[in-house]
Amino acid sequence: MPLLELTVNTRPVRSEADVTTLLVELLRGPLGLTGTHVGCDTAQCGACTVLVDGEAVKACSVLALQVAGRSVTTIEGLTSADGSLHPLQQAFSACHGLQCGFCTPGMIMAAQGLLSQTPQPSEAEIVHALEGNLCRCTGYVNIVAAVQQAAGVTR
Amino acid sequence: MSAPDVGNVGRFGSGRAVQRIEDAALVQGQGRFTDDVQPPGQLVMRFVRSNHARGRIVAIDTRAARALPGVLAVYTGADLQAAGVLALPLAQGFPRADGQPISPPPRHALAVDSVGFVGEAVAAVVAVSSAVAREAADLVMVDIDDQPAVVNVLDAVAPGAPALWPQAPGNVVAELRHGKPAETEAAFQAAAHRVQLDIINQRLAPSPLEPRTVLAFIEAGRLVVRLSNQMPTAVRDTLAKCLPGLATEQVRVVVGDVGGGFGMKTGPYPEDLVVAFAAMQLQQPVKWAAERLEEFLSALHGRDLSTRAEMALDAHGRVLALRLRSYGNVGAYPTPTGLFIALAVGPWVTTGIYDIPLIDFHLSAVMTNTAPTGAYRGAGRPEAVFITERLFDAAARQLGIAPPELRRRNMIQPSQMPYRNPMGQTYDCGQFERVLDQGLVLGDWAGFEARCAESQARGKWRGRSVTTFLEWTGGPVLVENVAVCVTGDGFVELTSATMPMGQGIATSYAQLAVDVFGVPIDRIRVLQGDTDRANGFGSAASRSLFTGGAAVMVASQKGVDTARELAAEALEVAATDIDYAEGRFQVVGTDLGIDLFELAGRQPGAAIQVQASAKAEGASWPNACHLAEVEVDPDTGEVALVAYASVNDIGRVINPQIVQGQVEGGAVQGIGQALCEHLAYDRESGQLLAASFMDYAMPHADVFRGFKTVFDTSVPCTTNRLGAKGVGELGTIGATPAVVNAVIDALARQGVRADRVQMPLTPAVVWQALQGQQPAPINWPA
Repeated sequence: MPLLELTVNTRPVRSEADVTTLLVELLRGPLGLTGTHVGCDTAQCGACTVLVDGEAVKACSVLALQVAGRSVTTIEGLTSADGSLHPLQQAFSACHGLQCGFCTPGMIMAAQGLLSQTPQPSEAEIVHALEGNLCRCTGYVNIVAAVQQAAGVTR
Repeated sequence: MSAPDVGNVGRFGSGRAVQRIEDAALVQGQGRFTDDVQPPGQLVMRFVRSNHARGRIVAIDTRAARALPGVLAVYTGADLQAAGVLALPLAQGFPRADGQPISPPPRHALAVDSVGFVGEAVAAVVAVSSAVAREAADLVMVDIDDQPAVVNVLDAVAPGAPALWPQAPGNVVAELRHGKPAETEAAFQAAAHRVQLDIINQRLAPSPLEPRTVLAFIEAGRLVVRLSNQMPTAVRDTLAKCLPGLATEQVRVVVGDVGGGFGMKTGPYPEDLVVAFAAMQLQQPVKWAAERLEEFLSALHGRDLSTRAEMALDAHGRVLALRLRSYGNVGAYPTPTGLFIALAVGPWVTTGIYDIPLIDFHLSAVMTNTAPTGAYRGAGRPEAVFITERLFDAAARQLGIAPPELRRRNMIQPSQMPYRNPMGQTYDCGQFERVLDQGLVLGDWAGFEARCAESQARGKWRGRSVTTFLEWTGGPVLVENVAVCVTGDGFVELTSATMPMGQGIATSYAQLAVDVFGVPIDRIRVLQGDTDRANGFGSAASRSLFTGGAAVMVASQKGVDTARELAAEALEVAATDIDYAEGRFQVVGTDLGIDLFELAGRQPGAAIQVQASAKAEGASWPNACHLAEVEVDPDTGEVALVAYASVNDIGRVINPQIVQGQVEGGAVQGIGQALCEHLAYDRESGQLLAASFMDYAMPHADVFRGFKTVFDTSVPCTTNRLGAKGVGELGTIGATPAVVNAVIDALARQGVRADRVQMPLTPAVVWQALQGQQPAPINWPA
């Protein structure tokens, strides 16, 4: 099995990965990062969204070997070393932007991907950035509000 | 333990928008969903599913799969039957058309002899990895001899349809007729106005984002099953009943975080039996994590009710009678819940908030070669309220009476409470006209014409609707038990058999405990989802808060009372001389006292433990007025929801932010039924056409964000201690008729008839109506 080196949540990682192993399988399996979820088989739900070199990517649609040498950030990597929550994590809770919480890591990572490129997004830009992420509980209202709050943009 | 900070306790009690105690873990990816638990040596199960809608199993050749390295077992239905695995408990308690008790076909854990729908599991492989399991499943050779199949409910009851089951003559597995047919017919004969509509509540996929996942293993000689489910006790009892040589005490069911349920995760699935059986056989942990495709194919579906609906009115717009002929498509293996929904729950609320004297509801539960139906958010009430509200709007148009006015003329008055409806259901309270009046103001009904003109100036056709309705909440079990444990290390632990699935029930319980104990909310822990700790009905039918929450209140008070007695002993005074506030007992008029948790630490086991139960006297009847406005693009048929206002009479509110999330999130599911969702089967082949999120259109983030949501808490429920009414399904129930009626109104204002369009109102459906091509009237069975 090929050996894979990459950075995950700022830490260097070495792992064996089969040529067919998906990034999400690497994260959830050998790396034990189960905050990245799998909600579909067709790259529609976005629950597995992570950042690869700062860009939001669906980890079910990327082979583990494709991210060799690159930097991956998962939901576990957003919390500060001192345990304090990332502004998006705080805002999702404060705005009640989650109910069951299964889609939430993917939503937050997709939002972080947006905010890293566009720190002050319009409502339309937020909605567009979250189009690839499904939530069955909230109806999205509070998710959009949470992203706005985290970005410090008024509704 | 550090002394609790009691300065802000009041901020965390009931009635406040307290930030949820569930959130911290979930926003950090530290939730514990079933698939997040990965014990060493965990094996992977994969199911082989039928590609045929109906057929006889000629042979299943598992030799190649068994021979594959890394495969530990391959099971067929015959293997499980030979090992003594029983079929799931059958639905009972309903009559057939001939009056005999129903006798539906058995649902085996894996198909035995025949298959009844595409996606039914026929074999299961267990392997060391998902890759090997996938390869092995492909090697299982299933030879099925096709038989004629039928998936549409009206096809199934048509003459010459394939007969699916001997005990379901004409494919009707159960049938009920409620009401007074002859008197209803007489009322229709004498009526000044009659309205008739064909209404299809299409089949839906509940689609919680977390697929079903089951992990089974053996621990200390007992079977432990972790899974994503709303009813752990029912799963435990079914496992014990269906698996050979297993007593109830030998089974423990554990549920961690549940990634959405919506009714679809109520009770046991056939797959649960197979996973548990394999773990017992192999004495190793076995996991099955469903793929989304499997969820579309084999998780319970919702709705699928076809109805010819008729309303009779007098010259003044008073409704004289309602008549329904409904055919519920309950699938190949009718479930107890599926039958209950089709035959009972919907009828209970069909007359809703209206004082309608006569009904004739003739309901058939029909078998087809589709996946079984079960509960999906609303479960019978959305179908029923959609039918009634469609009839009201059609009648309003026919009689030339404004829709709010026609509804107002028929509303049950507060003076009629408690009100017994024609189905024998008793409403305890409700101020329906007042809710309507508030809704008309909130939605600015009077200002519509100006908005309509503004839309018209942009080339859009605007329409509006008002929906007034109530619903039944509580489920069949109205009692709940809660254990309270005050620990010496500073926590109040609440243990309940109700289940969290995103509805924030732990936070609401904690707020109720804060009310009584007066300690900060971070001192409260809520323990759920373990049949070794608590057993009961579980969570469904919007019941958890007003049953379990009432028990939290009673048990917490009992906890304080018990602790007071213990404090009296410790302080050597009479209990009546002790005050309790904010975690401390104090002897009145002295500085003598003791901290609650310190007191607990001094007890045997370093804890104070009590149990208490609460029982509601009846269902609760939340009611609401929902108003929608849409814009239709006359060139494309595209519908945009542009305004949504709702006033919701829900009794006492514990956490307004959670309740608002329930109503608005629920409404988006109802909007999904109105505009985009349809779990379609191919009429000829019986193949599922909507089998991924690419084909099954759920609302995305762009759906709508302009909700105006108001709660009327002035009419508390009188039949439970909290005064709360169930709120989990109200939004879903109101939104579907609100949106559809607004679309029909938009077209009617331009002279386009759309009373025969059926959901979902996709651009194609609306465009056809715009071209004057409504669907033909349904040819109902004689």
